[in-house]
Amino acid sequence: MRGRLRHAGLNAILGISLVGALLLTIGVGLVWMPYDPIAIDLAHPLGSPALNHWFGTDEFGRDVLSRSMLGARISVLIALATVVVAITLGTTLGLLAGYLRGWTDRLLMMGTDTVLAFPGILLALALIAVLGSSNGSIILALSTAYTPSVVRVVRSTVLSIREREFIEASRSAGDSALGTILRHVLPNVLPPVVVLATSLFGWAMLSESALSFLGVGVPPPAPTWGNMLSASRPYMDIAGWLSIVPGLCIAGTLLGINLLGDALRDWLDPRRET
Amino acid sequence: MAGGGNLARALKTLAVCGVLMLGFASARAPAAVDETTVARAPLLRARLNSDIVSTNPGTRRDENTDGVLLHIVEGLVASREDGSVGPMLAGRWSVSADGRVYTFALRPEVVFHNGAPLTSAEVIWSLRRYLKPETRWRCLEVFGPNGIARIVSMSAPDPHTVVITLDRAAPMFLTTLARADCGGTGILHPASVGSDGSWIAPIGTGPFRLGEWRHNEFVQLNRFAHYASLPGPRDGNTGGKHALVDQLRFLIIPDSSAARAALVRGSLDIIDNLAPSELLGIRGRTDLQFQSVPILDCYSLLIQTRDPLLQDVRVRTAIALTIDAVGLAKAITRGTASANNSPIPVASPFHHSVEAQLRSVNLPKARQLLQASGYDGRAIQLVTSRRDPQMFDVAVVIQAMAAQAGINLQIDTVDWPAHLSRYTVGNYQLMVQSFSARLDPTLSFGTFIGDKRQEPRKVWDTLRSRELLDQTLQTADPAARQAVFDTLTRDFLEEVPAVVLYNSSRLSVVRSEVVGHQNWMSAQPRLWGVSLR
Amino acid sequence: MLGYICKRLLLTLPTLLLVSVAVFLIIRLIPGDPALVLLGEGADAASIAGLRADLGLDRPLPVQFVSWFEHALKGDLGRSIVSGEPVGELILQHFGLTAAVVLVAVTLATLIAAAAGLIAAWRRNSVIDLAVVGAATVVLAVPSFWLGLVLLLLFGLKLGWLPFVGYVPFSESAAQAALFLVLPVVTLTITESGVLTRMMRASSIDVLQLDYVTHARAKGLSERAVLTRHVFPNAFAPTLTLVGLTLGHLLGGIAVIETVFTLPGLGRLMVDSVLARDYPVIQGCLLFTAVVYVVVNLLVDLCYPIFDPRVTAR
Repeated sequence: MRGRLRHAGLNAILGISLVGALLLTIGVGLVWMPYDPIAIDLAHPLGSPALNHWFGTDEFGRDVLSRSMLGARISVLIALATVVVAITLGTTLGLLAGYLRGWTDRLLMMGTDTVLAFPGILLALALIAVLGSSNGSIILALSTAYTPSVVRVVRSTVLSIREREFIEASRSAGDSALGTILRHVLPNVLPPVVVLATSLFGWAMLSESALSFLGVGVPPPAPTWGNMLSASRPYMDIAGWLSIVPGLCIAGTLLGINLLGDALRDWLDPRRET
Repeated sequence: MAGGGNLARALKTLAVCGVLMLGFASARAPAAVDETTVARAPLLRARLNSDIVSTNPGTRRDENTDGVLLHIVEGLVASREDGSVGPMLAGRWSVSADGRVYTFALRPEVVFHNGAPLTSAEVIWSLRRYLKPETRWRCLEVFGPNGIARIVSMSAPDPHTVVITLDRAAPMFLTTLARADCGGTGILHPASVGSDGSWIAPIGTGPFRLGEWRHNEFVQLNRFAHYASLPGPRDGNTGGKHALVDQLRFLIIPDSSAARAALVRGSLDIIDNLAPSELLGIRGRTDLQFQSVPILDCYSLLIQTRDPLLQDVRVRTAIALTIDAVGLAKAITRGTASANNSPIPVASPFHHSVEAQLRSVNLPKARQLLQASGYDGRAIQLVTSRRDPQMFDVAVVIQAMAAQAGINLQIDTVDWPAHLSRYTVGNYQLMVQSFSARLDPTLSFGTFIGDKRQEPRKVWDTLRSRELLDQTLQTADPAARQAVFDTLTRDFLEEVPAVVLYNSSRLSVVRSEVVGHQNWMSAQPRLWGVSLR
Repeated sequence: MLGYICKRLLLTLPTLLLVSVAVFLIIRLIPGDPALVLLGEGADAASIAGLRADLGLDRPLPVQFVSWFEHALKGDLGRSIVSGEPVGELILQHFGLTAAVVLVAVTLATLIAAAAGLIAAWRRNSVIDLAVVGAATVVLAVPSFWLGLVLLLLFGLKLGWLPFVGYVPFSESAAQAALFLVLPVVTLTITESGVLTRMMRASSIDVLQLDYVTHARAKGLSERAVLTRHVFPNAFAPTLTLVGLTLGHLLGGIAVIETVFTLPGLGRLMVDSVLARDYPVIQGCLLFTAVVYVVVNLLVDLCYPIFDPRVTAR
């Protein structure tokens, strides 16, 4: 028992430290950055890390540290917005499908399966190509790709608790379907949804960087860790810091999120070890 | 329990499937090269940054396709190294006094890849085929109602003479025949198409024949042993052409870093179009040879003069005044490109003092003009594409430069088909565009000048510019044409329908064993006369 | 059994139809004209219109779809707009490569995950457990293409042990082909083993606490027998589901890995076709991946009873 708690505690501490560092970076970045992340300096491209540029400069002479700070804000915002949209939409649809069953369920499941049959990256690529490259279209594309997973998880949770007594009791007491859903079903659906949300955040962040890597993504000159990584490719062997910095940022953030998610899972369902 | 045994079997099956997938075919070691007895190297490996789109010359095409096919087919005439037109399959020709009748004398020693000799019958057949609409020849419109002339008749008085009659004099006729994007008007043997007219494979007269085309992997050309070369040294697409290797393989490697690494490791012999961003990675290597040749392409910023904001020449001039073409070219191409504000490329023989004028950056004047025009700082859209990394970088730099005068540019990155589409219909406010090499200044200006109602992609739509361009079509006298080009350039700089930024250089990097490789200003791979030590 | 399989496959037909229609519409909504891309910048309107007519793109949309669908039902997926090759052949060629990489990588990852997860659960809270969990968690956080880039930089460029670019088809030289695939397979194996290990460990821990394991131990069975014959098969079942989901998802295209390692796989084919507006190829590919997804899910469901005899295929 003690070992397990120690484990969970360690996860939480590490997770909180990493996420805390991220939030601190974003917070500081809102008021101050060492340089203007968009200002170019064609005279000093590809400068290695030094005292005046802690993380060096990129091919246009822009300060990598400042861009990483701004990139943190943008990458996290996009991932967060994606999670919010996907969770909200997915939970609603999943509740409807699981609780109402019948044709609603069948139609929703068919729609979900259709979207799931599309390779995620491709779906996002196509949607962004139709809508044009912008923060909004990326969020929309990623949410579309991830909503089906949320729908499925919520639906299966609803199905498993649907038949339980307190639901029956609520219905026979005369509660409306909506009331039952909100008061009894939803609270029980939340724990797996919360856990899914943390995983989703990580996936969204990875997907955004993958999309930038493939050439669609947040339009320039705004930096995201993903498009910084993508732009670093031709210079990988002569300016390695350009690939290492954004890669470490992504990995560090995801590690923190995953650890927090683990700690959260342990807290919500202490019987299960992760 | 039963579960364990089943599991073991299942896992074993999975493992076997995996191994089977990995290696089922014969493993052949590559043939050893006996260097003491073979005079020619067996294989020369070059690189294309994208797959060719067709083996049918002058129809579906892009730059890579043109370059590869010009090793296989040849036309009546071809471009010389200095851009002028020289003999190819026609050893000589004469033009009637009124400029309408061209008489070509074919070289009797030329043979097709299938062994058939070249006669006027095949020439007429090829030209007729190009002029048929079903062939979808890229240059058909040049001989249409809006073109330079109509071909009235073609005849073959004897097996080695071809006579072509036009409806009027057209000094650009031979230049058009030699154009790479017309497939060089390559003469094909009728066996290149099926009985129903469908395309099979190019049977031409060039120093190489088509070997194997493995889509998205490589295009392989094989030496044509019976090629009859013109005498003399290599000269553009004409002159002496000798296939010095048995097989020429163009590997398709879209990724420039991967190509560079392949060259360094020896999996590739030639990169004749190195991305400038890869330059730093090859600096100082003794096993590679490096060459930089200015070419006749053009990177520019197009302006939609129909846009309500941009129809004011003050706004356009202000934008132009913020752009430091020299700094921009140097940064983006690592010093290999030549800054230029004129549509006539720096390497062109027609680029003289008028064309060499460069606008200096003048931020105070730019701000003044903006204020006078009433620009309120609203966002102006700048369209670019990632397909060409230089186009993308240009947009980023222009945005930063324009911001210094308070011009708010927003970059809209689209993929290549969308970019082409918007360019063709004129759906943009500002657009970064690169034009492939045009060997004659008339063609260079022609990419800008035109009637927007008929061709929305043209940015310079004024009566005067169209008339001046027409004048350059009417005469072959270089001095007269130069005078008109000078006038056009001055007008271009004043009216700012677009801002020309730079002409790039073709950077080639080859391994030290490669002998005889030389780029020229047409921006195409040219691998005859190249061998390995 | 056969009836069950048939019924499952039939049920997926409406989804496949929906997928086809959706793909057909979405890609035509993307601005850009394949004919224009083929003819290049500077082409005149007449040539473009002519090429569009040749490609059948000037017909009304419903006609185009029905024509494509009719042919697809007969097994003819049309020809690529860009290269003219038959789409079916194109897909199979590219899929062969992707499948090779994915199957080998997922198999290796599963083997690693099964062993590591089981051992970590067996020796819970020990140093081994901590190491396994730590490694798995870190691996989960690393973007796959970044890992690929770093490995490529290290082994391809700096050390020069493995080739950097491209691909040699098996038909030419199996040994060389294998070399080109080492790095992509390694990258994918590492990336996928993280989540599989964690899942295996979690379910192993659950099973280890069950009564019949204690009984087996009390009966005097060796620890090894207990682990391999009692714990493993039951703990493996949820991981198998995850393997199935992973396979279905990865076989649909590992576009990013293929881009990093310049492999001509299915993922790259799809991305390149979207970027070139090669409608027949995109439509064919998506139909194909949807079918693969369905088949893999079916196979996983059928395999389930192997590991958990309590579950029967309904």
